[in-house]
Amino acid sequence: MAPRKLTVVISQAPGKNPVKHELEEEIATQLMLAGTCEVSLIPNLYDLPADHHGLLWLRSISGDLVVLSWLYERAARWTLDRNGISGLEGITQLPKGADDDEDEDSAEESADAPQGIGSVRKTNRHIYVMDLRQHHEAAVYLEEIQRIAREAVPPPALVPLEMSFGRPEASPGEAIAPVPAAVEFKLPLGFPGMVPAAGETAVAVPVTDPRRRWYPVIDYSRCTNCMECIDFCLFGVYGVDQLDRILVEEQDNCKRGCPACSRVCPANAIIFPEHKTAAIAGAPTSAAGDFKIDLSKLFGAPTALELAAQERDTELVADGREAVGLSIGIPKRQSAQAEQPKDDLDNLMDALDDLDL
Amino acid sequence: MPDPLQFMMGEYQAIIPVDRRYFRNHMWFQMSAEMNTGRVGLTAYAIRLLQDVYFLDWTIDPQTQVVLKQEIGEIESSKAVSSIFAPAAGLIHDFNPALMQDPSLINGDNYSTGWMFHFETQVETMSAEEYVAHLSGSWEETQRVLKGQYNA
Repeated sequence: MAPRKLTVVISQAPGKNPVKHELEEEIATQLMLAGTCEVSLIPNLYDLPADHHGLLWLRSISGDLVVLSWLYERAARWTLDRNGISGLEGITQLPKGADDDEDEDSAEESADAPQGIGSVRKTNRHIYVMDLRQHHEAAVYLEEIQRIAREAVPPPALVPLEMSFGRPEASPGEAIAPVPAAVEFKLPLGFPGMVPAAGETAVAVPVTDPRRRWYPVIDYSRCTNCMECIDFCLFGVYGVDQLDRILVEEQDNCKRGCPACSRVCPANAIIFPEHKTAAIAGAPTSAAGDFKIDLSKLFGAPTALELAAQERDTELVADGREAVGLSIGIPKRQSAQAEQPKDDLDNLMDALDDLDL
Repeated sequence: MPDPLQFMMGEYQAIIPVDRRYFRNHMWFQMSAEMNTGRVGLTAYAIRLLQDVYFLDWTIDPQTQVVLKQEIGEIESSKAVSSIFAPAAGLIHDFNPALMQDPSLINGDNYSTGWMFHFETQVETMSAEEYVAHLSGSWEETQRVLKGQYNA
């Protein structure tokens, strides 16, 4: 296979946070100056509609990919998968962020993770995902991207100078990726097909962020296809595909702010990337307060199921429907146990629940 | 005033006054002259588990109708973090402004100036005796939950 450049995609933070945008632009600028990668900026990955040109372009890339976003790695990876962009999990070696503690790394953790049904798509390239919230300095990311570039790309047959000027898609033997027609359009800090920035043109196509969205993202490495989410959600978000695999079918039926199905999922496979609770947003381990005990249970916290039912009722009532409480779509295994006194195993599980993993 | 009850948490003696009512989630309820309305605060049992309170934040506005177990705020102390949940269905009238300035009042004077909010509820509450019985019944499990977290 001909040498090709690594593609680096930066999914921008929604909103106008100058600190975040500065970090994005610093990374992009440095990468372009180095010339060893193709770099593009896209709006917040999670908010992109399926036919957004940023996604169309991402789907056209067949080689190794580095994606930097303001999402947890799992959230970003499975949001990509959902949009038809899949690949083998590239292992990143970012130094631990200041907020992380020194426990096991994600590789060890995934070994213990429950086995899910996996992605339907199999692609032989690697996708490396990084969370831009982990570090404040661009240098950390740049160093890791350079490391990945060395790992991912075979030793260049071309001298580096040629590589940085040559168009990779023009390399001999490289005919896999259909190059988007709009490639001539390539802007320094954009992606092929991007509309020129406002102010540069009189064309009345505003370059605004896509509408903020809210929908579940399924982590198929955990999902066991148990169908509890489809039974629980009364808004028709979930469906099944031709292989009877669960999928998020009508994502825009989902109720903004409601993470109820995620709480019901026995495999913790449902991610709401924008939820304030780290565990629901796709964090590998509990984020803040790791050294403190969580007394919520003792202070009357509802169980995950009670909370899920509460959240669902709120949305049902907002839609002018009847609240159903715990009467519909509640897993049988739980309701059968409700009347019995807790045994040691229950207490152990409660203690584990409190860890908010 | 009659002598308060006490509950032994290991060596520690948690004082439970008998001049007020209690909720299961370790909050006391002292009714004012107004029917079904009064101040709510944390019991000595809760304070002992938390120890020094550093941070208190309410996530709902005053005059909010709440349901049982609804999340209404967050508390962080030297030992623990927790959300704060509504002790029962009812109306939260307002919050103790003094605590907003200095949450450590909860430690200093939890049964009077360290009150948390004005609450109105029709729900049945427990007497001090019933609350102490509730504590005795759940003490084993509480210790297991705590131990589970320390050892994790």
